[in-house]
Amino acid sequence: MADRSMVPGRGLLRDLRRLALFMVKRILALFLTVVVGVYLTILVANMGGKVDELRRIQIESTVAEEVRANPDFNDMSSQERNEMINERVQLEVDRLNLDEPFIWRSFDYLNQAIWLNLGRAEQMSSDRGSRDVYDIIGERLPATILLFGTANLLIFFSSVFIALRLSRRYGSPADRAVIGLAPTSAAPAWFYGIFLILFFAFIAPILPAGGMVDVPPPQGMAAYGLSVLKHMVLPVLAMFMSQIFISIYSWRTFFLIHSSEDYVEMARAKGLPEGRVERRYILRPTLAPIVTSFLLMLIGLWSGAIILESVFNWPGLGTLLFEAIGHRDTPVIIGGVVIFAYLLALTVFILDILYAILDPRVRVGPE
Amino acid sequence: MSRPPLLRVRDLQLQYRIRGGTVRAVDGIDFDVGRNEALVILGESGCGKSSLAKALLRVLPRNVHHFGGSVQVDGVETMHYSEELFRREVRWQRISLVMQAAMNALNPVVRVGEQVAEPLRTHLGWSKQVATKRAREAFDLVGVSGDFLERYPFELSGGMRQRVVLAMALVTEPDLVIMDEPTSALDVLTQASIMNRLKRIKRELDTSFILITHDVATSSELADRVALMYAGQIVELADARSFFSDPAHPYSQMLMASVPRLHQRERPEHIPGEPPSLADPPAGCRFADRCPSRFDKCRQAPGMYEPNEGQQVRCWLHAAGGRS
Repeated sequence: MADRSMVPGRGLLRDLRRLALFMVKRILALFLTVVVGVYLTILVANMGGKVDELRRIQIESTVAEEVRANPDFNDMSSQERNEMINERVQLEVDRLNLDEPFIWRSFDYLNQAIWLNLGRAEQMSSDRGSRDVYDIIGERLPATILLFGTANLLIFFSSVFIALRLSRRYGSPADRAVIGLAPTSAAPAWFYGIFLILFFAFIAPILPAGGMVDVPPPQGMAAYGLSVLKHMVLPVLAMFMSQIFISIYSWRTFFLIHSSEDYVEMARAKGLPEGRVERRYILRPTLAPIVTSFLLMLIGLWSGAIILESVFNWPGLGTLLFEAIGHRDTPVIIGGVVIFAYLLALTVFILDILYAILDPRVRVGPE
Repeated sequence: MSRPPLLRVRDLQLQYRIRGGTVRAVDGIDFDVGRNEALVILGESGCGKSSLAKALLRVLPRNVHHFGGSVQVDGVETMHYSEELFRREVRWQRISLVMQAAMNALNPVVRVGEQVAEPLRTHLGWSKQVATKRAREAFDLVGVSGDFLERYPFELSGGMRQRVVLAMALVTEPDLVIMDEPTSALDVLTQASIMNRLKRIKRELDTSFILITHDVATSSELADRVALMYAGQIVELADARSFFSDPAHPYSQMLMASVPRLHQRERPEHIPGEPPSLADPPAGCRFADRCPSRFDKCRQAPGMYEPNEGQQVRCWLHAAGGRS
């Protein structure tokens, strides 16, 4: 440590080398995590190969139904017809590679997934008719990010801000009110959603009950945006109601703990103005955990929320994944998980670097 | 008319709210501190020493029940100052504090130089460069190399951090520096070196000190006067010379007898019993239960008596007429 101050050039080089080594190690570790996570998803989504049998039965019955229902084949003998059915089943099985052992295919899936080659959906298609998994997910993503991004950013910033204020007024009526109201978060957002729809869409019909935009969609950017905004009010409100109090409560406790540190008391004794004490002695040292929870909240948007989206008929990722599970459309499920895994790994990597910037104690690794 | 003392404290009270009652941590404290004077406040753990330090700078915890009395700085009453006025006029302008937990008194994510220079920038509005230059001087004063300005607290040893906190208390050259156990977490060599620094600073800068400690031996180096605290009250307030050589209160006598000395034939003695709970202090003399020379009158609370010039004792033995 002493030589760094004396020979800055060499110290910097050593720091950079150490940083590079650290980054390579982290990337490898995170990549391994992604591989394991994705492979586990592949195993689970295919029920360890069980889904193949179900799918084969499904194919057989669908094909048989098609052939029987088709009047063109009515004059065939039953043997001919069975042959034709078998042929078509075989074609479909070949298309889906179902005759290979699952374990081989699972590695093939893994290889494709890791390279973000998400492939084509088996059953589902996007509203524009594309079967590309990218298109299917890409179509739903903006809706989810818009809704959950708005709600979560709103909740995050208002709760951190309010909590910081409350931690100074420990035991005040407002503080006690928040503690008292915290259990309201035991009910999920969709629960509040149902009541909000009842009150504001049916009893006093001032807001739409569901969907993302009026039908038919209004012409013009402004009108379209306004319509989307109107549709967002109730779901955002539902999420806000269900999370705000517990969120304030936990941040308040967090700030209470950190504002009784000795250096905070010292800063007050030094006669620093309260705003500066808050910024520099409470927020600054606790920035690392705050940023962590912020980033994790951001990538949490990716998964959407199945029930809330269903209640508000919101065309987001939550309902998409739900439908994909219903259709046993493994490429869509795996596609969603792979992108989430990569996002998570990227976030953790960014956090590693941010930590080193935010906290000088992290910068100095073991010699 | 003579100048009022630098600090005049009268009937200072600080009570905390706890489950099922209140704790009288500081219970009617009176003392003065003159210019360039070092007052040592002695006392065992839990007698309210640290609460006194915090009360003087008004750094109060959340569960304060009652805070009252009179604190005059240079003859000006500060008790009715608003929080903002007190912050601007008194903290670090007139009085600074070295907290007991000096190891954790530095913000872990801000360079120590900035933290030391901060009061200058806040209170005096100095530019960063000028403030840093002054901080470097303060570092010199406490014996820390100026190179350390750029370091973070975790890069410093315990003794270094203690010195940095001391530099922070001295940087604005306040009239009075309150030090709460400034050396209790350090080894004796570091302690001695810091005490020597303090003596020099007192000589050169004309600063007054209140040194709060339980360490009789170390405190005797710096003390001009000594106040001994027991159960939230001052039981003896005397010149250092007379306190260390001829203590008057039975508690002072037993305390001095418990300090080991070089070339001592008899074993140091201990004081039997425990100090009373501050949540429910006894009605009479608070030391009576442990006092070898207690008598009937000790059931009533004694006042402060002045048996000799410059020596005040809270004990019936020294009341006019003594044991009669």
